[in-house]
Amino acid sequence: MHTIVTGFKQIATVLLFPSQRIIQAMDRSNPRELWEYTLTQVELSISPANFNTWFRNSFIHKIGEDGVIYIGIPSQFFKDWYLKKFHTLLLKIFRDISFEFRNIEYVIVKDERRKAAPRETKSVPGAMELPLNEFYINKSDNLNPRYTFDTFVIGSFNSLAYAAAQAALEHPGIIYNPLFVYGDTGRGKTHLIQAIGNHFKKQYPGRKVYYLTSEKFTVDYTDSVQAGTANRFKDKYRQYDLLIMDDVQFLSKKEKTEEELFHLFNALHDANKQIIFSSDRSPAAIPDIAERLKGRLASGMTVDIGEPDPESRMAIIRKKSASHGILLSEEVVEYVATSVSGSIRELEGMVNSIICHAQARGSTPNISEVRQSIRSFMRPQKNISVKNVVDRVASFYGIDEESIYEKTRRREVVRPRQVIMYLLREDFSISYPTIGTKIGGRDHTTVIHSCEKIKKEIVVDNELAKEIQNIRTLLV
Amino acid sequence: MNISINKKIFSEAVHKASRFSERKTGTLPILSSILILSSDEGIKMRATNLEIGIDLKVEGESKSHGVAAVPATVLGQIAGSLSGDGNVTLEHTGELVSFNSGTGKSLIKTIPYEDFPSIPFPENPKNRIVLPGVLLQSLLSSIVSCASASTVRPELASVYLSVEGGVLTAVATDSFRLAEKKVPLSQKGTQGKFLIPAKNAADIAQTLPDEDVIVSFDEHQVAFVSTKGMIVSRLTNATYPDYRQIIPKESIVEASVLRKDFELALKRSSIFSDSFQKVKLTFDPKKNALSLYSRNADIGESTETLPAKVEGNALEISFNHHYLSAALGLTQAESLSFCAAGPGRPLIIKGLGDTSLLYLVSPMNQ
Repeated sequence: MHTIVTGFKQIATVLLFPSQRIIQAMDRSNPRELWEYTLTQVELSISPANFNTWFRNSFIHKIGEDGVIYIGIPSQFFKDWYLKKFHTLLLKIFRDISFEFRNIEYVIVKDERRKAAPRETKSVPGAMELPLNEFYINKSDNLNPRYTFDTFVIGSFNSLAYAAAQAALEHPGIIYNPLFVYGDTGRGKTHLIQAIGNHFKKQYPGRKVYYLTSEKFTVDYTDSVQAGTANRFKDKYRQYDLLIMDDVQFLSKKEKTEEELFHLFNALHDANKQIIFSSDRSPAAIPDIAERLKGRLASGMTVDIGEPDPESRMAIIRKKSASHGILLSEEVVEYVATSVSGSIRELEGMVNSIICHAQARGSTPNISEVRQSIRSFMRPQKNISVKNVVDRVASFYGIDEESIYEKTRRREVVRPRQVIMYLLREDFSISYPTIGTKIGGRDHTTVIHSCEKIKKEIVVDNELAKEIQNIRTLLV
Repeated sequence: MNISINKKIFSEAVHKASRFSERKTGTLPILSSILILSSDEGIKMRATNLEIGIDLKVEGESKSHGVAAVPATVLGQIAGSLSGDGNVTLEHTGELVSFNSGTGKSLIKTIPYEDFPSIPFPENPKNRIVLPGVLLQSLLSSIVSCASASTVRPELASVYLSVEGGVLTAVATDSFRLAEKKVPLSQKGTQGKFLIPAKNAADIAQTLPDEDVIVSFDEHQVAFVSTKGMIVSRLTNATYPDYRQIIPKESIVEASVLRKDFELALKRSSIFSDSFQKVKLTFDPKKNALSLYSRNADIGESTETLPAKVEGNALEISFNHHYLSAALGLTQAESLSFCAAGPGRPLIIKGLGDTSLLYLVSPMNQ
């Protein structure tokens, strides 16, 4: 150790002039530049083998505001050795650069962060991977890496929200602060705001992002109050450069939590830290929420995500199926996009079910197969005639259609008749009296009784449930 | 330093310690050496490559104390060529160690030992469990082959160990298959989880003694301590995926077959497998049979039909045969159970009567 330090001194005096110039040209707050300069100095003082072994995998993790430099190292082996052998040397180099640097701490960092450019994975031909990738959630920022802008479909319904997100990413904390995104369930709010978080992380590696739901915030707050660590709670949330809070409408009526959010908002907003909220309704329409918080929620940019238009829905279906490696024909995409008018989440559910069927069969599905596989997502068409239903059910049970209308109480007729009434009521919402008159002029109480009977039996009788399921597919 | 050690004990100790020395060139020479110490605590051998380190106690007689660092490859080659009974003596004078095996005498150049790194110990050894080394050996050595060989995803190139509710669970996956093994612990209390790099886990499994081992861990490292010495490994500092999510909860068909039937049938089928190593499994509940089919355009094709107890729906599903045969090494059970959740979904393999193992293998694209 002793020899290392003296050796360094000699070299340092010789190099004083050029190194002074480098020091002046260097950006001291940039960890990478600082580390590169430090390495050039260290390299002069120790043997190449020593240098390769101990310094190749290290870097400056961050520079603390109190003048402490955090050096990231791979393992405990390194920590002990740095403390023992290199601490004085490094401290001297840092002090020569600036007296602001007071101390050095060594932290053992995550393996992912030390990785250089990723190499190609060895792929096993033919074998499918277990879907492990979808189950990583980054613990430090809570973001789900699956949500990115690459998988985000932009259409006329969300282009404004997307543009606002991009602007907020470009000048975080300045232009649209807070950014408030609202829209009905399943429109892609969470996807958008998480994508902002993931992109922010990539764009500004040193800064901190945190994603949470308002429910988590509430729980966290009440926990901290109970544990008497409210101050730590405050500090925890104030350190983030980007805070994303999902579903703020759930804060309504939680006065203390609202107050806490109010203070947190002020603290972050004053420090020009970006805040993003999402909700299922506009700030003004959230009931039972303090006026002053309402005003603040709306004070930045408020954008809504409307209902996706058919073109966007088609784009979403294509993107979703492509991500699973299946190409759907135009016909199929159009059919799926138009047949269900639900949220994007339902749309994705449908695509998933089509993909699942396709994988089971091992071929790209055609239109009739798709019709088959998404039947469960659709309510039967309502404009079907009673006669048609009677017809199908009678033929399903193999009995004469006429006997349904007759006043007979033969067992083989009674059951189908009840099933017909049940279906007409449940699936086609026809009134009890109408059903009664159409099925051979029966009293509406008879109809009610039949419907209730089937409803009860369906729960215990699997056979019956299966029969009705089969009949339903016949009716579509 | 002047020490005398039984030949057999010496060979074994060198063999164990040299696993932990650095094999790559271009690093610090001291890392590719074994440090031999003789002090009041007895004779010890140390080696480390900064990922993992060992501090091994060696039985022997010490005439005078001292320290010397000797290149691991040289010691390893000498240890490999020793024969017969008797002792070897090592005497350290100046820059040389004179090695006397009774019949021959060699002078080995040493490396300055001052640069030998210290081997760290977990800061908070409160997290600790005790279990027999034999158990840990078989647990690690059987499961480690299922971990990923590529280091692109460091968490998958690791063995995941979790201690919870008095059970030690070890998991390894390379994202094509996954093995989970459980071992009950004698004491409850301790909780925690950590990731050991698979490469280190394999070395640990080879080196652990059979007797009780204390495993203690903190955020960054794990130590295995026994009366024979100590092994310390760094931990993979990454998050393990929530693997339980991918284990299918329901199944459409379940088959049980005799292990030896399956083993031989799989061996024969793999001869005929194609370049994708594909073997097709067919579950036939009507005939109560499980059959294996493979076909190679150049060699031919083969069908093996095994008597089995099959319950559920008929199913055809294909796998890489290497991944199927890997399950055999994980359990000693005489019968195996195969649980399929449907086409395109992972298959669960268990040993009948062996609740410790769960093996999950992903099928091939149809």
